[in-house]
Amino acid sequence: MATVQSQTDQREAPLVARHLRVPFALLILCFAAWGMAANLTDILVGVFRGIFDMSNFQSSLVQFAYYGAYFLLAIPAALINSRFGFKTGVLVGLGLAAVGGFLFIPAGEMLAYNMFLLALFVLAAGLSILETSANPFVIAMGDEASATQRLNLAQSFNPVGANLGVLMGAVLILPNLTPEESKTIMSEGELLAAQEADLFQVLRPYVFIASVLVLIWLLIAFRKMHLPTEPEAVDLTEGGGGTFARLWANRHYRFGVVAQFFNVAAQTCTWTFTILYAQDVVGLSQEAAGWWLQASLLIFLVSRFVMTWLLGIFRPAKLLLIMALFGAACCLTSMFVLNIVGLVAVVMISAGLSLMFPTIYGMALQGLGPDAKFGSAGLVMAILGGALIPMVQAAVMDVSSSALGYAVPGVCLLVVAAYAVFDLRTDRPGPGAPVTHEAGAQS
Amino acid sequence: MRAGRGAYPWTTGVAGTLLVSVLAGCSPGGQEEAVTVGLITKQEENPYWVEMREVAQETADDLDVELLTATGTSDTDVASQEAALDDMVEQGVDGILLAPTDAAALEGAIARAQEAGVRVIAVDTPTDPPELVQATFATDNERAGELIGRYAAAKVEELGLDPQVATLDLTPGVSTGEQRRAGFLSGFGAEEGDEAVVASVDTEGDRDNAAVAMTQVLTDHPDVNVVYTVNEPAALGALAALQDAGADLDEIVLVSVDGGCAAMREGVRPGLIDATAMQYPQNMAREGVRAIARAVREGQEPTGYLDTGTLLVSDAPVEGVESRRVEFGVRTCWGS
Repeated sequence: MATVQSQTDQREAPLVARHLRVPFALLILCFAAWGMAANLTDILVGVFRGIFDMSNFQSSLVQFAYYGAYFLLAIPAALINSRFGFKTGVLVGLGLAAVGGFLFIPAGEMLAYNMFLLALFVLAAGLSILETSANPFVIAMGDEASATQRLNLAQSFNPVGANLGVLMGAVLILPNLTPEESKTIMSEGELLAAQEADLFQVLRPYVFIASVLVLIWLLIAFRKMHLPTEPEAVDLTEGGGGTFARLWANRHYRFGVVAQFFNVAAQTCTWTFTILYAQDVVGLSQEAAGWWLQASLLIFLVSRFVMTWLLGIFRPAKLLLIMALFGAACCLTSMFVLNIVGLVAVVMISAGLSLMFPTIYGMALQGLGPDAKFGSAGLVMAILGGALIPMVQAAVMDVSSSALGYAVPGVCLLVVAAYAVFDLRTDRPGPGAPVTHEAGAQS
Repeated sequence: MRAGRGAYPWTTGVAGTLLVSVLAGCSPGGQEEAVTVGLITKQEENPYWVEMREVAQETADDLDVELLTATGTSDTDVASQEAALDDMVEQGVDGILLAPTDAAALEGAIARAQEAGVRVIAVDTPTDPPELVQATFATDNERAGELIGRYAAAKVEELGLDPQVATLDLTPGVSTGEQRRAGFLSGFGAEEGDEAVVASVDTEGDRDNAAVAMTQVLTDHPDVNVVYTVNEPAALGALAALQDAGADLDEIVLVSVDGGCAAMREGVRPGLIDATAMQYPQNMAREGVRAIARAVREGQEPTGYLDTGTLLVSDAPVEGVESRRVEFGVRTCWGS
């Protein structure tokens, strides 16, 4: 009788505790916000190159600042959550991200690229804390049995935000920038005025995002919340030397972290330089180039559903190998077919990328048992690839050409393919129960 | 019992105000004085003129200006331009951007427009004398020629060549071609009649004419190693002839003027055309529409000459001559 009663309770338990519906909705906005900010930033590399008349390498520092902050703040964020709780973590993240967004205003007035990098760093630092806090916060907002469903629902708004971010860039920033040929005849004063006007276009969406974050901050800060599921305390000492040694000794995990590093690198490189490829190689306007980046994200989104279906048919490592080789072939095409076909190839890389983050995540963590929790941190920190490798691609573009720069994501994808081959060749049972993918701005 | 049901009207008010203030920056301004601009190009076979019309339309849309357009059927179609000038005056335009096919033949129509209070700005091609119109927005053709002349001289030195120059020119009496040629010779460090210039042929800037001319030049002077072309269609024609003749392109310096996308991708990017001096019809159109709108709305009348810019683009830069990368050329070229 008690069992029947328990099952009935479970069936009737709402996805989100009734009194937490509004905070849950607000957290969903947070999930969209960091997707929006991350992909809006992809647009900035090309925009700053034009506004400040910089090399590709200099403009790629935008991604270094953004993803570097994500990497550096991952552990402090966990400490904040552990010490002060998830609500505080969310509020600190929101607050810091909002400050970063508003820092675009003085940066715009100073006309200083370094200030923009600082603003982006602060924004991303806040979003890193927000992301680290919001995931477990969402899990704790309802019945334990529906935690994964709740998290998936919230995470599904991340790609929505990502697409909105690019859309904001394509609609609000790119069409309103001073045409490059127009600058060739401007006096110094006119150039300065054009720079100011262009930077105003850049800061507008960021100030908008910051304002929304302030709104969410206020709505969460002044609301009392009692979580039905007490979140597990994060014990940062649990991943001690023993765990690390075990993980390090596990080649599937170790190579998995390497593969994830290069996967995130390939993804960031591909999206960061799509607009530049469309402009430099095909000769499209900035505005039109923005729509090609939008197409990349939509293909990524649709492909992920297709890949989810295919993963039910094929062994994940086999599908990973096929898609990594497909992506590398697209990179090769984009390097040598210098027209619209090359651009289509750049966009199609996203189809290959779509399954990689969760698949590598699952393959690397499979069979780790209690070490999986600590191990997952290593995989999320592989986001460092997004900070470092775009600078390598930019440097290659500077010394060769924008098209040949795509050799860099091509090599990254070959590393991912090598990991898939390694997994296929080593004697290990295929991934069993899927590991929940709980974090990752690149997801 | 009220836990989890906080009420926060003031907080939403504060943040709402912030949002509104951000969005207010996007709101359109007030109604501006109506302006109508006319654009008369030479023809629309050449993507150069298509680009000029498209940018004029974009600029007009941005400035809330009405744009009327007309075009001739060729670079020498005077009758169509004369009719278009009179027609636009009839329609009450505030100003006309005119790329004159023959300024002397159009002098009467230009004068009638000015008598009716219509501003006339020459774009791309200056009138002779320039005072026939209020202002001229055009490429400094001599400067464009000089840029490729300096490049060719430096490249010849880099390759250690004994220069044997062929020039594929426009047509006698057309200022654009004469200025480019004079600029090239000056930049190269040569003078008219210089013995290094072994052949000069008029091509009308036509690809086929240039191919025929280049074939003849190679027959007469097989040692030619520097080729100046007045525009990119002529450069592509010369290139085809050089390739047909099996010439070693690594030992030949081919330079041109224009900045069209087709030549940029097919000629400059693969290094077949060593360098080109870009010109910007986009700037002529954009600045022209802006100038007339400014004259009507702010009373600032356009006068004099506006250099619409020229920059050297090369896939193989040489020391001592400033040039931009091919990627820049692809981004800012005209045509599709």
